Amino acid sequence: MQLKTMQTIAYEKQDIDKGYANQTLHIDLAQPAVDIRPVTEEMKRVFVGGKGFDLWLLWHAVTPDTRWNDPENALCIASGPMGGTPSYPGSGKSIVTGISPLTGSVMDSNVGGYFGPYLKFSGFDALEITGKAAREQVIYIDGIEQKIHLLQVSGLPEESYGLSAALTEHFSDGKPRSISVVSTGPGAASTFLGCLNFTWYDTKRKQVRYKQAGRGGLGTVFHDKGVRAVVARWDAVPIGINNPDDLDGLKQVSRAYSKEIVQLDPKQNHMAKVGTTHLVPIMNDFDLLPTHNFKFGSHKGAVLIGKDAYTPIFDPGFDGCWMGCTVACSHGVKDFVPFTGPYKGRRVYVDGPEYETIAGCGSNLGVFDPYAIVEMNFYCDAYGLDTISVGTAIAFVMECYENGLIHQDHTGGLPLHFGNRDAALELVHQMGRGEGFGKIVGQGIRRMKQIFAEKFGADPDFMQDIGMESKGLEFSEYMTKESLAQQGGYGMALKGPQHDEAWLIFLDMVHNYMPTFEKKAEALHWFPMFRTWFGLCGLCKLPWNDIVPEDNKDTAEPAKVMKHIEWYAEYFSATTGRQVRPDDLIKMSEAVYNFQRILSLKMGYGRRAQDTLPYRAMGPVTEEEYESRRERYDKQLQENGGIALNGKTTGEKVALLRKYREEQYEKLKDAVYQRRGWTADGIPTIATAKRLGIDFPEVLDVLKAAGVSE
Amino acid sequence: MIRVNDREIPWREKMTVSDLLQLVDDAHDCAVVRVNDRYVARHNFDAVVVPDGAEVFLIPVIAGG
Repeated sequence: MQLKTMQTIAYEKQDIDKGYANQTLHIDLAQPAVDIRPVTEEMKRVFVGGKGFDLWLLWHAVTPDTRWNDPENALCIASGPMGGTPSYPGSGKSIVTGISPLTGSVMDSNVGGYFGPYLKFSGFDALEITGKAAREQVIYIDGIEQKIHLLQVSGLPEESYGLSAALTEHFSDGKPRSISVVSTGPGAASTFLGCLNFTWYDTKRKQVRYKQAGRGGLGTVFHDKGVRAVVARWDAVPIGINNPDDLDGLKQVSRAYSKEIVQLDPKQNHMAKVGTTHLVPIMNDFDLLPTHNFKFGSHKGAVLIGKDAYTPIFDPGFDGCWMGCTVACSHGVKDFVPFTGPYKGRRVYVDGPEYETIAGCGSNLGVFDPYAIVEMNFYCDAYGLDTISVGTAIAFVMECYENGLIHQDHTGGLPLHFGNRDAALELVHQMGRGEGFGKIVGQGIRRMKQIFAEKFGADPDFMQDIGMESKGLEFSEYMTKESLAQQGGYGMALKGPQHDEAWLIFLDMVHNYMPTFEKKAEALHWFPMFRTWFGLCGLCKLPWNDIVPEDNKDTAEPAKVMKHIEWYAEYFSATTGRQVRPDDLIKMSEAVYNFQRILSLKMGYGRRAQDTLPYRAMGPVTEEEYESRRERYDKQLQENGGIALNGKTTGEKVALLRKYREEQYEKLKDAVYQRRGWTADGIPTIATAKRLGIDFPEVLDVLKAAGVSE
Repeated sequence: MIRVNDREIPWREKMTVSDLLQLVDDAHDCAVVRVNDRYVARHNFDAVVVPDGAEVFLIPVIAGG
């Protein structure tokens, strides 16, 4: 491994003040040039931090003509004002934004690991990378020495695991915990599904651990810029490192929250022991676990890939992806021996699997082998691939294969029937090598639909129905057929169908808390707004509602877990000195959320026409699906649709149900847009922009150009 | 005896999850319980028998994901 310094810039780090470093770091790789700019009071007031800062930087970097692989596309990484607090659970998140190769529009992806906090402690609330390097580079931000180094590199390991471990050792100076690395792998070079691995150093196990910013191909953008890695170095992290406005208040609310999690997590989801694997049996029982490309929601094999399978093989010990987190859900498998690929026969430590990977690379492929899922997890991370998009994309090609839309002549001889774990793994290796049919799969479902139709003569209408993407992004792993609210949660999510905005399945389908369009619309306003707030502040969402107070069920709105939201308001106030109440958190998010929608509009998207879903997300595409849950669908047609079914064939019933459900979804869009203060075309009104304080001249210009007059 | 969220409930033979939850005041809206290490969904409450000495937790699956 050789690293040659091209440029070193010394800088003066300001002390963190009430959660802010008050500077942003800009690196133009084309020059190359390093620029440090102040954070204004207006940025803090309107955009808060984290994703808000990222989007503000991205807005000014791109034009409506910017494509994902243009030099001006900006890859932005930020923490947030509470990011890096070591006492409050879930305070180590980073958020990454950029223009996505999958959607062509704005993408955001949040991730654990130490990088975001170390970046801030080194003096920067956000990092913006533009341009493209002439030769591969490593960016090294040394917060201890207060220097930024741009390094030319050669001889680095190709895959992300080896690369991050090598750089950690190289820069650690005997203290590997002081290093966090952002990198991707060779899969990001040959696909549009590239993820970013963010590291944290596990001092007890003495090894580098990994978390992923998976969604939307931001790893592909990173690779396209010629960056092999960004490394941050920082030292000790005392409780007052963010120099909070009220340290005693911060300690008090942190203690209460940590204590509650330690006390209640073992009685509830036990995430410190099983992570998110507990969701597998629960989703399966409620017909919500995607199997066979979202065709069905349960399978008898699910018992083999849930918490009972993984708890015994998870390596026991502390698994917090940030210091002091008592949820500590980032479990891993020690001494795993892959049976395929370049690591075949070697012992490796695999970070994961989590629920999304189990469902995406397991049940959705008809694969119920827990070890094959671990192997898919490992190689996706090592190659720098998003396990969600990889899983959903392979599920799509398997259904195409089983329906005769593609053949072995197209797949390079791979028999891609559901359940074929070896073929699924081979596709992952092909994505890593950039060859074969895997390279086509790595372009994502939207492009595959076009390729299969144009080159292989596949039926475009059927592929449109079963190709589980919206806005170009592959679905994350929940069944939405029986929850109209969750259909909205996916279809109206700003970046595409990811559940981080709204996960309403249980509230809607199981508890029936929102029986009317108005109530669904209210939920599709409130939940995305509140969930957005975590990404502004450097926080993880999990502690909010995966562990809830014992008296939560007795509160007026148990779904909101208001006691925790009050604690979050106290936490924000204690850190920043800006005194807020729970309602203020929603207003902060609303400004950034609408700004992101308008940025999408600026990029040529962000309208009603983009908030669409494949019909598989709404209901049964095939007669096989209908018949498998015939009683349920017949009942709905009769009771909700007022339709007499006497003499109707299954095909006719499929068509009637489809008409009914598609109409319901359009009505839902109307209600949600109205609640959010948007036009019928899904665009924030000028009045909304003014109310939220985002009525900057350039924002109003975009709205007016889109025909919005009020 | 059965423990439900730290409270003790007398056990009886063939007691199902549904039977047990009728004895618990705050079990309304409960869609999932954990009986020892096993998750049980609401539609199986009538079918699953709770063993003596079990620890039962009412799982608040409300807005996860």
